[in-house]
Amino acid sequence: MTELTAPNVVAASTRSDRRRKILQNLLRGERPYMLYIAFVILLVVFSLSSPWFLSVDNFLNIGRQTTLVSIIAVGMTFIIIARQIDLSVASTLALSGMAAALAMSQINNSWIVGAVAGLGTGALVGLINGILTTQLSIPSFLVTLGSLSMARGLAMMVTNTKPVIITNETYFAIFGEGTFLGIPVPIAWTLAAMIVGILLLHYNVFGRRIYAVGGNPTAALYSGINTKRITTAAFVLTGTLAGLAALVLSARSHAARPDVVQGMELDVIAAVILGGCSLFGGRGYILGTLFGSLIIGTLNNGLVLLGVSSPMQLVIKGAIIVAAVAFTKR
Amino acid sequence: MELSGSVAAEPRPSTSLVMVSAINKRFGGVRALRDVNLEVRAGEVHALLGENGAGKSTLIKILSGVHALDSGTIEIAGRPVEFDSPAKSREAGIAVVYQDLSLVESLSVADNLLLGREPRAAFGFVRKRALMARAEAFLKELGIPLDTRATVGSLPFAYRQMTEIAKALMGEVRLLILDEPTSSLTSDEVRILFDAIGKATRRGVGVIYVTHRLNEVFEISQRVTVLRDGANAGTFVTADTDMKRLVNAIVGADRSPSIVSRNEPAPKRDLNPSPVLSLLDVSNDRLRAVDLAVLKGEIHGLAGLIGSGRTEILETVFGLRPLESGAIEIEGRRWLPAGPSDAIEQGIALVPEDRHVQGLVLDHSIERNVTLPRIPHFSRWGWMQQRAAARRAESAIARLAVKAQGASSLVRTLSGGNQQKVVFGKWNDPRPRVLLLDEPTVGVDVGAREEIYAVIRNAARDGSGVLVVSSDLVELIELCDRISVIVNGRVARTLSRGEIFDAEELHHLLQMYQASTPGPLQELSA
Repeated sequence: MTELTAPNVVAASTRSDRRRKILQNLLRGERPYMLYIAFVILLVVFSLSSPWFLSVDNFLNIGRQTTLVSIIAVGMTFIIIARQIDLSVASTLALSGMAAALAMSQINNSWIVGAVAGLGTGALVGLINGILTTQLSIPSFLVTLGSLSMARGLAMMVTNTKPVIITNETYFAIFGEGTFLGIPVPIAWTLAAMIVGILLLHYNVFGRRIYAVGGNPTAALYSGINTKRITTAAFVLTGTLAGLAALVLSARSHAARPDVVQGMELDVIAAVILGGCSLFGGRGYILGTLFGSLIIGTLNNGLVLLGVSSPMQLVIKGAIIVAAVAFTKR
Repeated sequence: MELSGSVAAEPRPSTSLVMVSAINKRFGGVRALRDVNLEVRAGEVHALLGENGAGKSTLIKILSGVHALDSGTIEIAGRPVEFDSPAKSREAGIAVVYQDLSLVESLSVADNLLLGREPRAAFGFVRKRALMARAEAFLKELGIPLDTRATVGSLPFAYRQMTEIAKALMGEVRLLILDEPTSSLTSDEVRILFDAIGKATRRGVGVIYVTHRLNEVFEISQRVTVLRDGANAGTFVTADTDMKRLVNAIVGADRSPSIVSRNEPAPKRDLNPSPVLSLLDVSNDRLRAVDLAVLKGEIHGLAGLIGSGRTEILETVFGLRPLESGAIEIEGRRWLPAGPSDAIEQGIALVPEDRHVQGLVLDHSIERNVTLPRIPHFSRWGWMQQRAAARRAESAIARLAVKAQGASSLVRTLSGGNQQKVVFGKWNDPRPRVLLLDEPTVGVDVGAREEIYAVIRNAARDGSGVLVVSSDLVELIELCDRISVIVNGRVARTLSRGEIFDAEELHHLLQMYQASTPGPLQELSA
């Protein structure tokens, strides 16, 4: 019997014990509140040092700039909790965007066709990633390293690296330029992805199984969970969200280009880890991911406003990410 | 009974190599070793016997420098030594060959033999040819049939073990400790291993050979030391003793009556003769025509040595191991297990052998763990019914008397016994038709053990069929209505309550079957 569980010790736990526990929780508890504190500190520092930072317009700007990372990071949260990784998300985005734009240009210029083609392509790449990872037992790091290259190559092949122009106004309004209840649609889509992610991860059977598969795959298997199916589903979800991000990006730029967002997978992974996910699986939550993504977006925005040179921005961003993870890890 | 006295009575030309005198070791309140003595001579194979928990591994860990001793002395060739680290023990010439070998699987045999002491040229370049030549010459001198170029990872287990032994001998080794080296070997491989041991002893190396298989003791050792409850229970010259006397020393002649008083064996009950689970002629990679029936309300024990196929029977029923031939029936209906989820749907539950690896998600709460196999019961249209799940966890905690602050406590913070109760809690409701238990009380303290026994008995009383694997024979006798002895992937014999006597006789039976069965199952495994 450990002291932790003996009833007399529980009764004797003093107020100072509890206070210490709260402090511990703040620093590195189940939910790393350090993250919120870091975010607030960041806001204060930038507000004090730049007169343009603290405004509704600028915050909408940050929101818009972080859209792509935030949407995909929702899926990546599931993947990392399940002890996997997906390096192919940026390439998947590019391929899905091309698929959406080409489908529209071929079939009646219909925005529905474009949306279905974009989301479907993303889901398909995710499905292939998932099947290769679980059925052939290839580490997902390698599988998605391969699909990172293949999806990007395919995206470039279909038009011989030329962009595809989109002309459908409804498509622009729904995914890129309109507003929904007064919110710019890219931000609305981000919120939608977040809400769906929170519901799936924290309230749905699927989330329970994801946590179990990542926390201890053997115990999950012995408890009758189809670990392969669950893992594959996480990849499909992430691919589909990369497809959604592709729709947002192409609607905003009125075209799909095969060479967009190269290297964005690293921002996505950084956001998820910053948000408190354990790379060893079994731990993490969507709201943390949102804040992780916002911190990265705010850093980008604030450093530009301060006039920091772009090479210096990279150095500062990298250092802050490592420092933040060192602080919040346990 | 000939206690250590027989040592002095044996006039042998060999000299005393290692002398362990009056060693004591405590872990918290537990006295793991009490005044333990052990003498190993040069060129001798000295078998070390005892039940699980008798102190064998503690003694080995002290000799190898993993644990420090509390009091007592160790002398090597007459000089007192003190080990505060494994490196010191290695320096003194003691090498341990563990089950999980310390080889680099991706390197060749020669590379492994000379790892860290490769012949070098200028700038640290390895002289590959010299390395090969040295390894080859050494193996030849020893007469060990190993290919120096073979990659260790591609070798069968026995050859890896041989590499490990050769590696140990390559240094200045005087005492070689082998910890249950044969538990995963085929009979041919055992032969190879024994040859290698013989070659080592001819060079004057002393060997401590830890095993559970008494027939091996008679085959390879010159002397035997038995430990029981952390103390010496006798040292024998192998040629002058027999199996019965060794078993007496292991189990303790005086222990059997006290076992009975520890808890009355379950009274003979009239069992409902309808089986909930039947295995008919079941065979696969580890099992050979297993016939077994678990009746409704019965607690059925599986006794056997490690590697005998006990665990594999449970794994086959739970769908973790494919069935190659034969059939399984659940309440008389044929059923082919497709996987754990299929088995769970049939009302089969498994409390696995290793609760940390197979049973629990340690970093998750009690609630998460308890609801894991029953997620479909706690969801509507795919959405978790959080309150129902929490209620279930609370009721499991209350019913199984899990000592924890609440359902949200992390399982990692609980004691072994309470963790095991959480594993039982996973399967508590609805009552399983078949409850499979693999070593249900390993690492569980005495108090919690009795509580777990009560849980098992209650499950049987409520009509579950229980199939329990245990290395603790006293536990099997205390719990079971019938016990099947598993040897080499077969059911050698099924004993009913009237035929079961005490742990000593059961132990004896196990050894007899083990010794008398040729062609071990391991010849089937790769």
